[in-house]
Amino acid sequence: MASKTLTTWQKAIKPLLLLSGLGVIALYLFWGNPDANIISQVRIPRLALTMLTGISLAAIGSVYQLMLANPLAEPYILGISSGGAFGSILLGSIGLIMLMPFGGFAGAMLTMLLVWKLAQKKGNFDRSRLILAGVIVGMFFASAISLIMYLNKDDTVMILNILMGNLGRIFTISEWHMFLGLSGICILLLVYLYLQSRALDIMSSGDIYATSVGINIHKLRRNIFVTSSLLLGVVVSYAGIIGFIGLITPHISRMLFPGNQKQTFLISSIGGAFFLTAADFLAKHVAIIELPVGVITAAIGCPFFIWLLLRK
Amino acid sequence: MSLLSKTIILMLALLALSSCQGSRKNDSNRFVVLSPELAELIVALGAEDMIVGVTSECDYPVSLRKLTQVGNFGSVDLEKVVSLNPSIVFASALEQESIALNLKKLGLRVESSYPGSLDDMLSEILRIGSLVSREKEAQALYVSLREDIRLIREQATGKPQPKVYLEIYKDPLMSVADQSFVGELLETAGADNIFNKLERDYSRVKAEDVIFLQPDIMICYSQDSLANIKARKGWQNIPALRNGMVFFEDDIHPDLIQRAGPRSIQGLQKLAEIYDLWRQKR
Repeated sequence: MASKTLTTWQKAIKPLLLLSGLGVIALYLFWGNPDANIISQVRIPRLALTMLTGISLAAIGSVYQLMLANPLAEPYILGISSGGAFGSILLGSIGLIMLMPFGGFAGAMLTMLLVWKLAQKKGNFDRSRLILAGVIVGMFFASAISLIMYLNKDDTVMILNILMGNLGRIFTISEWHMFLGLSGICILLLVYLYLQSRALDIMSSGDIYATSVGINIHKLRRNIFVTSSLLLGVVVSYAGIIGFIGLITPHISRMLFPGNQKQTFLISSIGGAFFLTAADFLAKHVAIIELPVGVITAAIGCPFFIWLLLRK
Repeated sequence: MSLLSKTIILMLALLALSSCQGSRKNDSNRFVVLSPELAELIVALGAEDMIVGVTSECDYPVSLRKLTQVGNFGSVDLEKVVSLNPSIVFASALEQESIALNLKKLGLRVESSYPGSLDDMLSEILRIGSLVSREKEAQALYVSLREDIRLIREQATGKPQPKVYLEIYKDPLMSVADQSFVGELLETAGADNIFNKLERDYSRVKAEDVIFLQPDIMICYSQDSLANIKARKGWQNIPALRNGMVFFEDDIHPDLIQRAGPRSIQGLQKLAEIYDLWRQKR
């Protein structure tokens, strides 16, 4: 296993990355010398949302890329994020702001079911059809969102916020309790995804082989899609659509520390949390005005990704 | 507004109205007005019967609602505007630039206006007055408004200044800068707007800055409820919330301070009343 032959370089970089991640979190919480009330009531909730979002997106990306044997696979490509955003925007635009996470849920689940059905060919699951179906369904929901935005001028800013990603939501105390409850559920879902790592490793050697060692591949795929849709529904309804984390973090993780899915999953999750925290810190402080965090993740993510590709 | 200036405006309006009977047939003065604040101003100048088309946001005075609508603020039916054969189209210089450009391409005369300050507003009244051939009325309105503003400024000087936070949007949080028209109104009436400098007139702000700046008064136009604002994490210690100094659209109508025009004086007076309430409670 490649993971057991870590070079000294890789051994050295691990604690370094961990330390800089913790440094980013410290900066995020204490920058500008805020008082205790602001740290505990504003910054810690925002950090919690940021880390949950980063972990979930990166973890799902790592699972999808392996399961679908497609380096491009991530929640956005599969349309699930747009579906979730549509559900949550729809409820938000009719005034049910408290219920937006459930709209996100419902939207993500519905999209997932639709994409899943479209990806079946004569009763068999077809990987390339899945990506195609995802792109088309995603485009459909994106245009539906544009329509709501056009008809509902009052909500334009709120909708743009969801489309470009925003971690600066203000929680009321009851909303915060609901978020904590949903976070608990998300962590359980993440643990479930983590526990499927070995089965996913085996599945990447081919469906026939996986079936021969006793893995029910249809059931596994279905369970993973349901789990990840639930996770995405929550994340999108709170943080909006944030791209690149789900795509890039698992790739970087595999490039720096090649290994099995268990390791990739863990490193991607932690990396995703740190990466998004750093991006949101920049979004808050790089300009006088707070920038949409999705713009920052794309602006840092792309060049870094290209650099890593060229380095190889 | 003082009784005197009210009477003057009323008399002028009546005078203008009576002198304009029949001008509807006169094709040389046909106005389509796309901006609600300009519509309000043109009516106040006594030129309402020259208006042949408006957008759906032009709702004050209510008589404007009976006129032909050419669309809404952000999306105007160009064909309809052309079919009304206007001599001048009045548009806002904020967020209607592209509509104005298209109308100009169609050969129409477009006059854009968006006063960024009270001084701008006063000079725009004179300019619009001459465009709608109501120079005398405009001059009278100019003088009375300038006097009203001076009085309000005078009454506010020397009094303790509350720190004011005006929330125009909740998700994301947005407020106004000192240099905006609304910011200037907040301060002219005798307060200190908490966001001195933002990179745009109306801009995103951070929740932690609102908490840190400790506003004494909050004016909430973001459709949020008092219970929800009080339940926002970390907001409990803001003086405005502790002391029940949160005001909503019912307390002070947004149009009174967001539209630059004759009603801005009412907005200033309402603000001054709110500030006085705070001073009494101190």
